[in-house]
Amino acid sequence: MVAKAESSALPDAPLPAVAASAEIDSTETISSSSSFHTYLQNQPPSNGPSLSDLGLTAADTEGSAARQALMDRRTHMLKIHQRLGLITVIPVAAACISAAGAPPEKGNYSDTTSRDIHVALGATAVLMYAATASYAIRAPRVSHEPARGGVKWHKYLIYIHTPGMVLTPILGAMAYNQISSGQKVHGIASAHAGVAAATAASYGAAILAVSWPIHLKF
Amino acid sequence: MNKLSLFATLLLTLPVFTLLNAQAPAPDQTWKLDQSTLTYHMSHPMHEVDGTSHAALGKGVCHAGQCDFLVAVEVKTFDSGDSNRDLHMIQTTRGAQFPIVQVRFRLAQSSLNSPTLDCDLEVQFAGNTAHYSHVIFQQTIQGTAHHITGVVPSTVKDFKIDPPSFLTIPIKNEIPVRVDMVWHPL
Repeated sequence: MVAKAESSALPDAPLPAVAASAEIDSTETISSSSSFHTYLQNQPPSNGPSLSDLGLTAADTEGSAARQALMDRRTHMLKIHQRLGLITVIPVAAACISAAGAPPEKGNYSDTTSRDIHVALGATAVLMYAATASYAIRAPRVSHEPARGGVKWHKYLIYIHTPGMVLTPILGAMAYNQISSGQKVHGIASAHAGVAAATAASYGAAILAVSWPIHLKF
Repeated sequence: MNKLSLFATLLLTLPVFTLLNAQAPAPDQTWKLDQSTLTYHMSHPMHEVDGTSHAALGKGVCHAGQCDFLVAVEVKTFDSGDSNRDLHMIQTTRGAQFPIVQVRFRLAQSSLNSPTLDCDLEVQFAGNTAHYSHVIFQQTIQGTAHHITGVVPSTVKDFKIDPPSFLTIPIKNEIPVRVDMVWHPL
């Protein structure tokens, strides 16, 4: 047995406090759903339950255009953060690959080409990393609840790759100076490669954290 | 003679009362939503996401044989397991400006005990209103509890929502919402 609902005489429902009247066309049909149409509703319900009947207060039901604008700004900045972060993978990977040619070969300390390329790629990676981070740092905070899910790990990994991005160029500069003065890399500068590798790995993990779980389905 | 006329009067008026009684509307009734699980499903070539809310509120009022129902849920109560994604969902659906999803429908009071409910839904979400006709819900009744399940075939276009994208690929247009509710008459 199928009971047929009767909605043709349904009362109009109230609009949220800030109506999007400018963007709603009362006559436009826009959906692929055959039974769908959008229209502007500006009449309160003449009968039937209202939101206040459900125990919702005005504070619950009234929207805030200012808060929406804040969220829009946050999303815009985090989108740039995401885009720059993905682009930064290129110089980070290139700096890691070019590291193979950075140490002097067989005591030849005068040929600095490979080393200079590595330095340039490393510097580009650090600068782009800083630009990427700045968008996440400056994005307005809209929730004070603790992070849940992949973004939690994304944030934990900051404590590894941020110090790494500071230390790596410092240690690299120390190593560069030692090589330039005809010395073997020694002391704390010898940790440059290890710190760089850990930094790159944690950076990649931070990207994966906010992309996981991945279910490829095309 | 008097007894006979009284009997005859009663006999004549009985069908009239019976007819009137048959046409009398069902008594007014109020329904309350006790438990609910609403789950939207979002598809992307790289991600499948479900966001669930248990915070829906609902009420039905029956009068003159017609029942008007309202179900409302705050957008921010949907949890996909990732706080960043949930905040992005609220932003994308303009949930800060339009914090409540409202669903209204009307049913004939005589149909409330049917195993299948065919509903025409009016859904207000993200500052827009969409109508979905002939959405079928299954109903099982245990005591006074009316357990209703079904799927609302919503899409992002229905509400003029810009589909969010990941790696420049937008999510699928279809965002079906699974409904699982328990209603009680008051």
